[in-house]
Amino acid sequence: MIVALLLLIPFITALALMFLRPTQQAKNVALISTLASLGVVLFAWSAYTGGTVIHYNMDWVPSWGLRFVMGYDGVGLLMLILTAMVFPFIIAAGYGEKLQHPSLVNALLLFTQTFLFGVFLAQNTLLFYIFYELSLIPVFFFLLYWGGEHRRAITVKFFIYTLLGGLSLLFGIIYCLGQGEGFNGDFATIGSLNIPTSVQIWLFWVLFLAFAIKLPIFPFHSWQPDTYAMAPLQGTMVLGAVMLKMGLYGIIKIVLPIVPQGVVHWQETVILLALIGAIYGGIIAFRQSDLKRLIAFSSLSHVGLLCAGLFAWNSYGVSGSLYQAFAHALLVVCMLYISGAMKERVGSSEMGAMGGLKVRTPRLAALFLLVLANAVALPLTQSFVGEWLMFAGLWQVNGGLALAAVSTIVLGAIYMLFAYQRVMLGPDKWALEMTDATTRDHFVLVPLIAITLFLGVYPGPILELVDVPVQQLLSSLSLN
Amino acid sequence: MRTDLLTILVPVLPLVGAIILASLRRKLSANVAGGLATALIASSFVASVVLFMGFEASTGGRTVHMLDWISVGGMDIPLALRIDALSLTMMLIVTGIGSLIHLYSIGYMHEDERAPTFFAQLNLFSFAMLMLVMGSNFLITFIGWEGVGLCSYLLIGFWYKTPEYNYAARKAFVMNRIGDVGMVLAMVLLFERFGTLEYASIMDMATGGMNDPLMIAATLFLFIGATGKSAQLPLFTWLPDAMAGPTPVSALIHAATMVTAGIFLIVRSSVLFESAPFTKDIILWIGTATALIAASIGLFQNDIKKVLAYSTVSQLGYMFVALGMGAYSAAMFHVTTHAFFKALLFLGAGSVIHALGGEQDIRRMGGLKGSIKITFITFFVGTIAISGLPLMSGFFSKDLIMAYGFQHSPVLFGLLLFGALLTTFYMFRLLFLVFYGTYRGKAHPHESPLTMTIPLMVLAVLSVIGGLLNLPHLFGGHEPMKHFLETAADAIRYEHLGLSATTEWTLMGITTVLVFTTIAMAYGRFAKRATLEGAEADMPFLKRLIAQRWRLDELYAALFERPYGWISAHLFTTVERHVMVPVMNGVGAAALAMGGVVRKLQTGNTSFHLLAMLCGMIVFLLITLMSN
Repeated sequence: MIVALLLLIPFITALALMFLRPTQQAKNVALISTLASLGVVLFAWSAYTGGTVIHYNMDWVPSWGLRFVMGYDGVGLLMLILTAMVFPFIIAAGYGEKLQHPSLVNALLLFTQTFLFGVFLAQNTLLFYIFYELSLIPVFFFLLYWGGEHRRAITVKFFIYTLLGGLSLLFGIIYCLGQGEGFNGDFATIGSLNIPTSVQIWLFWVLFLAFAIKLPIFPFHSWQPDTYAMAPLQGTMVLGAVMLKMGLYGIIKIVLPIVPQGVVHWQETVILLALIGAIYGGIIAFRQSDLKRLIAFSSLSHVGLLCAGLFAWNSYGVSGSLYQAFAHALLVVCMLYISGAMKERVGSSEMGAMGGLKVRTPRLAALFLLVLANAVALPLTQSFVGEWLMFAGLWQVNGGLALAAVSTIVLGAIYMLFAYQRVMLGPDKWALEMTDATTRDHFVLVPLIAITLFLGVYPGPILELVDVPVQQLLSSLSLN
Repeated sequence: MRTDLLTILVPVLPLVGAIILASLRRKLSANVAGGLATALIASSFVASVVLFMGFEASTGGRTVHMLDWISVGGMDIPLALRIDALSLTMMLIVTGIGSLIHLYSIGYMHEDERAPTFFAQLNLFSFAMLMLVMGSNFLITFIGWEGVGLCSYLLIGFWYKTPEYNYAARKAFVMNRIGDVGMVLAMVLLFERFGTLEYASIMDMATGGMNDPLMIAATLFLFIGATGKSAQLPLFTWLPDAMAGPTPVSALIHAATMVTAGIFLIVRSSVLFESAPFTKDIILWIGTATALIAASIGLFQNDIKKVLAYSTVSQLGYMFVALGMGAYSAAMFHVTTHAFFKALLFLGAGSVIHALGGEQDIRRMGGLKGSIKITFITFFVGTIAISGLPLMSGFFSKDLIMAYGFQHSPVLFGLLLFGALLTTFYMFRLLFLVFYGTYRGKAHPHESPLTMTIPLMVLAVLSVIGGLLNLPHLFGGHEPMKHFLETAADAIRYEHLGLSATTEWTLMGITTVLVFTTIAMAYGRFAKRATLEGAEADMPFLKRLIAQRWRLDELYAALFERPYGWISAHLFTTVERHVMVPVMNGVGAAALAMGGVVRKLQTGNTSFHLLAMLCGMIVFLLITLMSN
């Protein structure tokens, strides 16, 4: 029931929006739909008692032995919660955007949500792959028709990049399906795969490439800053908050179980690349003049850390990475929302055109500051919990890598505080009247900040969710 | 149970104050906000006193568990507070001095339109500082550690319309963060080694091996953290800039409490440092160098707050010297007396600035002793206390460190004595230039209101009698503070000052004679000045170098700040734009060119393919779901 509802609520709403085109009510309808999905996910969370919950398990393509299996475990549930939790805010952020054809926009967003739910519910690699690629489609159209400058070129580049990665993944999955009887594509049967280590070493990259691009990690990131900067606000939110988490999830659900030896072999390489990206993005972010592009590079930096933490492959690293994935989703929505709110007021997201806004918009400045505290991972915010666990995890791998990872806390402080200063502080230079935070601004930012702080003080509920699955995952592979 | 509640209330009261004030900041008047903030921190003080009275030192201490915080895998880090001699000492300083400074701020900030915000941030700071000192494990301390950093950032940049202040605020935060890298690594390392971050457990487990490389690394990392927060070489240049904040902030955060966090941290983990003599030597010499360099800069500063800021850096250096010699209780004693007299001096400076309508340049002061009597007398007391005139609080605490220094090596004693004389000289220079001679400015000095002068008077009394807290045997005392603190940190039990009474009296005599000589010198040069020396350009090289703060700010700008900006800009314009993007585009294009299937996607039929895929998926899904 839960699975069906999660797929059907956004899907049917999206279809309705697409065909009925209720322009006036489109945003309200979409908002209600996402809130309903959130309700379903929260119900699933409250009913969850551990293990893998399978809702559907039936023949799919009997001639190939493929089965249609859907359900979730703790990690999947975390991703579902994350997706369900940020979407109402993404829809709400649309109330400030003056996009053409709001019904279509919201329909595309809800299609995306459907497929994202599908990705996190799929318990079969091929099914995962299909949803994974499907989720790209509505985003593709959204960017192509509603994007900013150079949208065609940038969207096509983004599409080709992710598609290439996807094809590589598909090839890898098909290769694995061809390996003997035991593996029929289901996650549950991955354990029966027995791929020689020499094969795992190259197969790792075949599978990993898709996720490396999706996250993205250095040096596969070059599609990301332009795309984030060009995409409509809600598009960037979807990409940054949820879609990249598919990469993380895919690594845990597909790459690690299928090619554990390959993972071990490439572990330090990947951590190194990820951390280079984390530092590279963090340094570049400092001198960016466009707030949205700064957020893009800051996201590159955060995601580098996420990936590095994951590849520590110990319980602190993986739990921390998953926890941080959640924190990062909320953070990205908050950051982008603020950039949108500022753009609404001064007409551009260039920080050179801002400055001194605290005088005019003190409430927004205060909200920005609270978001900033989370962005630089001050303790008692959600990000700190994740970062601390990842640092502890990375230390167990290698002290030097841990040092590199920890150094990002300095870079983050440098670019975030400089951004805050350029936007908010300094002398008042505004002659025009400017509205401070509106009801809508509060509706989006206050709950998100409240969740961030609550989970910073009391991370237990989320950590409990991932603790056991992560332990099982690691012990089943006996990596440690 | 009742004491547990009381313990939790100590940090929570100011937190509640911060939340209330921040949410009602536009509705409250400055006085109401100030009154509420002061009442809450004063309640914390009362609670701390009650806890102190009811505390039995012989039990060692106890832990109050509030909440499970981070528990995952084998890690179990609770939100818990620890009450023992060390945390109680710090709690009394933080809430006691904090209350006085809150009270003072009511007068100082009453005309500022953002006074409620100011008090909210001051209360938030108190909360964070209390978490720092009360935490039962490193990670709780780190909550406070970062929290005070945030509040320091906010309060330095409180007058946010001035870009230089914002720069100073950012500089403080970033330099602290550099130290925090050390702190985080230390915690990670200690957790890896001990499987816990609880102070009590680590103290039990950490015994044995001398100079274990792991312990050296951990203690060095902790010390790096301490150099950031407590403004030691090479990370001290943020503190003088931090004077951009309102003066009560300088008194509370940048003199009495936050900057002593590094010392507190090292005393807290003294067991670890005892097993790493190598680290202690480094602390000793960094402390000495900082004490002397900062004191030398203090000689030539003309901003009343900058003189005090360099003085603070220098005094913190003395505390680190004590730590480096393993004289933890001496360091804590100096933390305490320094909190009294440096808070007093800063608040006095604030009162002077207030009296002169915002003037901070001592070249435009002079002759104020008649017009602002209370400020003058209390400032005078602060000056003689910090200079270590006999029987003042600073006399006992600094003398103890210098005696340990003599025991360590006479050379060290010589350096510390030299630093002490520099201190005396620049402090009396300041006193004479501000209060003696003739007035060189144009304002109409007026004495500050009672809310400001009462804290001055209380602190002046404390600065005089503070030495009683740890009165040495030589003066018929029993070092009560040392004996109290040793119940919290075993290392203090083994501190031993083995000098004979004659030696101690001799050292004290030499110091005192030289201090008085220095005062006489300063009097001769500055007490009757009508004008001050000319521009820096006319000074001889060394003097100019010192007056320009050893050009450290310029050095850091040239070595780190500007290159970092350059790298940031060029990494984007050159590497990202001209290497990463074209190369990866090339790879993508090549891959596409090779794939016949994919090529079709480029011909414009993309949407058709995708829609076909979508429709197939939809139909399939619906069938599957319905058939269930």
